[in-house]
Amino acid sequence: MSENKKVYLQPTPVRIWHWLNAFGIITLTVSGAQIRFPEYITLLGNYKSVIYLHNTAGFVVAISFTFWFFYYVFIARSMANLYVPKVEELKTGLLRQIKFYFLTYFLGWENPHHPTPKNKFNPMQKSAYLAIMFVLMPLVSLTGIFMTNVEPLRGVIVMLGGLKILMNFHFLLACCLIAFLPTHMYLTTLGHTPLEHIKTMWTGWEEGEEEVSGSEHIGTVSTR
Amino acid sequence: MNCFYIDKLLPMILGLMLFFMPCSLLAMDADYCLMCHGDTDMVSGSLLIEATTFDTTAHAILGCTTCHESIDDEHPNGDSKLSRATCLDCHDHLGQEYMMTDHANYATCGDCHNPHEVRAMDAMAGYDMNDKCFKCHEVPAMVDLHKQWLPQANLHIAKLPCITCHTGSEGYEIVLNIVAKQDDRFLSRYELPDYQTLQEISGEAGILSLIDNDGDSFITLRELKAFNRNPKYRDLRLAGTMVPSDVSHDLSTLDNRYDCTFCHVSGPQSMQTSFLAIPNRDGGYQRIQVEQGAVLDALYGTPDFYMVGTTRSASMNIIGLIIICGGLVMPVGHGLLRFLTRKNRQH
Repeated sequence: MSENKKVYLQPTPVRIWHWLNAFGIITLTVSGAQIRFPEYITLLGNYKSVIYLHNTAGFVVAISFTFWFFYYVFIARSMANLYVPKVEELKTGLLRQIKFYFLTYFLGWENPHHPTPKNKFNPMQKSAYLAIMFVLMPLVSLTGIFMTNVEPLRGVIVMLGGLKILMNFHFLLACCLIAFLPTHMYLTTLGHTPLEHIKTMWTGWEEGEEEVSGSEHIGTVSTR
Repeated sequence: MNCFYIDKLLPMILGLMLFFMPCSLLAMDADYCLMCHGDTDMVSGSLLIEATTFDTTAHAILGCTTCHESIDDEHPNGDSKLSRATCLDCHDHLGQEYMMTDHANYATCGDCHNPHEVRAMDAMAGYDMNDKCFKCHEVPAMVDLHKQWLPQANLHIAKLPCITCHTGSEGYEIVLNIVAKQDDRFLSRYELPDYQTLQEISGEAGILSLIDNDGDSFITLRELKAFNRNPKYRDLRLAGTMVPSDVSHDLSTLDNRYDCTFCHVSGPQSMQTSFLAIPNRDGGYQRIQVEQGAVLDALYGTPDFYMVGTTRSASMNIIGLIIICGGLVMPVGHGLLRFLTRKNRQH
C-alpha cells in the first residue's frame, strides 16, 4: 500500500551550497579555459580580469566546499551514511544500479533505488560522489591554492616535483570535473519529468510515495 | 738575397707592425693604466677598477684613452683634469630614449651603469639585471606597489627582470639558469650559484657538461630531461626567466604589459627561443642556445618554468580533451538509447 507524498530531500544549506558550487564551477571552467587559451577565448574580458575572476571563483568554491563538509560531518552528522558506500552496496547494489542504468531502464523497469533523506544516493551515485567530493575537489582546490601562492609555497612546490607538474595536475583534475558535468546534468533529467530533480534541488521537495508499512529507511520513497 | 730582405721583407714587417700597432697599444694602454688603477694599494674608491671585470665589458676593447683622451705623460702629476667621454657620445639612440623618461630626472647613466663593469645583456644571468633597479627601488616597496593591480606581484618581482615589462622591447626570450639548493634544510631555497660552486660540482668537464652531455654547445630537450631526472643533481634545478630581446631605455609601462597580454597572451609560439646562461670565471655569463620549444615540454624539460597562457603543453591539451569527451559518452550514448526506447517507459 502506498500514497503520494512530497519528500523533503535537500535541506536549505545543501541547496545553497549546490547552486553556489554549480555557479562557481561553471565560472571556473570558462575562466580556466580563457586562462589556458587566451588567444582563442576572450569571453570574460582581459587577461588580468579573468585571472582575478578565476581566483575568486576558486576561493568561493573552496570555502563553500568547506562549509558543505562541516555541515554534513558536524551538523547533519550524515556524511558517512550518505557518501560512503556500504560493503553490501558495493557487492550487489552497485551492479544492480549499473544494470538499471544501462539495461533495465531502457526496458521500462523502475529504479531499484528509492531516495530518502537518510539515503539519498544510489550506490553508483555514492561511488561517483565519493571520488568527486573526497578526491577531485580537494585536490583541485589544493593545487589551485598552490598555484595562487607560488612564491610563498615554492619550497613545497619544488618538493612535489615542480610548478609544471602541479599545473598539469590541476588542469587534468579540472578536466575530470568538467567531464562529470554533462553526465551529472543528464542524470538529473531521468526523473518522472526532465526537470523533476532540478526542481528538487531548487525547492528541496521531491515528489514521492510513502509505503505505509515500510521502515524508516524505506518509508519515504520516490516512484522512480 | 740581402737586397731582398732590405727591399721587400723589411718594409713588409714594418708595415705589419704599424698595422697592428694601434691594437697592441690599446691593449698595452689598459694594462698600463690598470697597473695603478687595479691595485688597491695605489688607488681606492671610484678610481679602483677590477681588472677581470673590466676585461669582460664591451668597453674593454676600446682601451682607456678612447674615453679618457686627455691623458698625458704627466698623469697623475699633471694639472690637467682627466677628460671623460659622455655615454651619449656613443649611445646616442639609447640616451635619447632615456632622456624622455622620468628616470632621467633622478639618475644619470653612471648611476645605473658603471662603465668599467657594465656588461652586455647576453652576458648576464637574467634576474641580476635588477641589481641596478634595486639600488633605488626596494623590493618590499615594489611588491606593495605592484600588488595593487598585478596578480602574484611577489612572484613577478622575484622572478623577472624589471625591464622585461618596463622597456620598449617588442619581444622577449627565455633564459634558464642553474640554481642550487642553499642548504640541507627541509624546503631550503634555491639560489643562483657562482662560477666556483658550479665548477666544483661539474669538475674538470666544466659547468656546461652538467647539461650539454654531448659537448656540442647546444642544449636539446633530451639533455634537459636527463639533467632534471638525474638524481646526482637533485640539489640543482633550472629556473627560467624572461628577458627583453632588444636593448631599450624606454622605461615607461606599456599597456600590453599592464593588461598582461605581452607575456601571457602571446601563445606558445612566443616560447620557442630559449637559452641556458652559465657563469664564467670572470663573473659574467655565456648563453647557450636551447632547442626550439623545449620549455613547452609537459613535464621534465623545465619543471619549474610555467607561465599560464603560453607554456601549455599540446599533449596535455589532448589528454584533457579526451577526458572531457569521455564525459559526453553517457549523455550522448544513453540519451540516444533512451530516445529509441521511450515507448517502454510510457506507463
